[in-house]
Amino acid sequence: MDEAFVTRRTAEIAEWHGVAPPNPLALVAVADLAAVLAECAAVRERMVFEDEPSTFDAALAATRDPG
Amino acid sequence: MPTEAYPTLTAAADGFAAGEVTAAALTEACLAAIAARDPAINAVIRLDADAARARALALDAARKRGEALGPLAGVPMLHKDMYYREGQVSTCGSSIRRDFVPAVTATVLQRLDAAGAIDCGTLNMAEFAQNGTGHNAHFGDCKNPWDTAYCTGGSSSGSGAAVAAGLAYAALGSDTGGSIRLPATMCGVTGLKPTQTRVPRTGVMPLSFSCDNVGPLVRTARDAARFLRVIAGPDGLDATCARQPVPDYEAALTGDLRGRTIAVIETWFLEDADAPVVAAFDAALAVLAARGATITRIACPLMRAINANTAVLSRVESAAIHANWMRERPGDYATHLSARIFAGFGIPGVTYDQALSMRGPLLRDFVAEALTGAELVATPTLRTRVPTRAETDADADVANWPRMMAVSANTRPFNYLGLPTVSVPCGFDDRGLPVGLQLAGRPFAEARVLAAADAFQRDTDWHLRRPKAA
Repeated sequence: MDEAFVTRRTAEIAEWHGVAPPNPLALVAVADLAAVLAECAAVRERMVFEDEPSTFDAALAATRDPG
Repeated sequence: MPTEAYPTLTAAADGFAAGEVTAAALTEACLAAIAARDPAINAVIRLDADAARARALALDAARKRGEALGPLAGVPMLHKDMYYREGQVSTCGSSIRRDFVPAVTATVLQRLDAAGAIDCGTLNMAEFAQNGTGHNAHFGDCKNPWDTAYCTGGSSSGSGAAVAAGLAYAALGSDTGGSIRLPATMCGVTGLKPTQTRVPRTGVMPLSFSCDNVGPLVRTARDAARFLRVIAGPDGLDATCARQPVPDYEAALTGDLRGRTIAVIETWFLEDADAPVVAAFDAALAVLAARGATITRIACPLMRAINANTAVLSRVESAAIHANWMRERPGDYATHLSARIFAGFGIPGVTYDQALSMRGPLLRDFVAEALTGAELVATPTLRTRVPTRAETDADADVANWPRMMAVSANTRPFNYLGLPTVSVPCGFDDRGLPVGLQLAGRPFAEARVLAAADAFQRDTDWHLRRPKAA
């Protein structure tokens, strides 16, 4: 477990949301976020400026089964 | 199945409509099955036997009078305890809502009532629908009817176990990361997660408004087709619900897969899969091919981006919903749930918004990559054998946390993509637990997905196998 990462995140959660770690497993769950954020960082280049209609609903309609 | 003569929802509904069997007889069969089998599996939270009997007698009387009744008339059901019925407790599998009495009735329950279904009570579930294994610290774990040491899958644990054990013909589940399909695969029944926005969520406990779906756990694809036609379509209250017309899904069940192409995505979904699961999956593909389908195998490099974003949405949305209780009464959650919710607060807002923003483009790219040369994609629903409750109990041992979190690996990407997805039984592993085949299609392709599942079930009987407890 990256304790510095967990300590930093836990402090931010307390500051932004007023929520304290409810149990030791919560710290393990926070440690897991390091991998989530690394994966998000790895795919950032896919994030491009998108013109309207940009919503997920629009994509559902555009890609729907042709029947 | 509650009765040998009427093993499926559609058989029971058709038998009732034809005057071959009474609603009272079907209901008594289910109540007897509950009395005999539920003590071992702990699927039922609240049994409304008197109300069910009264409803059955009323339906029998209405049929005698020649009244027009709905397509599910006379069919006993039980539902996950998060579908609100005005004036009745809906626990959501939690201690926090142990006495919660909603002021509204869920649209889907109203529609099932109007279709003539008989509501016999409510079912066990993961607390606030938030684990994929079925553990519940407040009502006790629901247990797999095939072997009570094993997980039922979650979060619709009672729904999977109840249908598998023949306590009811159908059960509503909900699916945010696999919560219909996981209990379907682990308990050996059929489970359908419709297209995001296909079914209104009015009166349904929320977990993640971006990824929550309502759908059935039943015995067959035909059962699912009939059930979906009843519950799908806008209700004028859930503004997120699609206005797309609701087709006659049963009419699409021809058994013919000639000219259809099914793509097996080898990236992600088969990585580190257990050998018995792969063997059952490959055998299922051969059945589909024998029905006329062309099977192709593709890579899908998009899966990394899809998985990265999938991990973000429901965690953040759940944290927002539960924020007040997490501040005021965190000790009232199970250990694994408060831990999971807590981590959601640690994801930055812009990261969450990017995950939302990339959803449309990634759906378009996934359809171009996987669902343009093929009409359907196929994967194992669960890439490992069904785990035991002990080895996934993170409350008992923190070392079990990764195993508890891993079960939804093959199901949750389809929630992010919003695609219709069905899980059907396709065999058993070397420990005698069920294996599931997952089929997904383009948005609103429920008819196509169910047609392939139905074709598969015409040539197999895995979906009709019964556990010893049943």
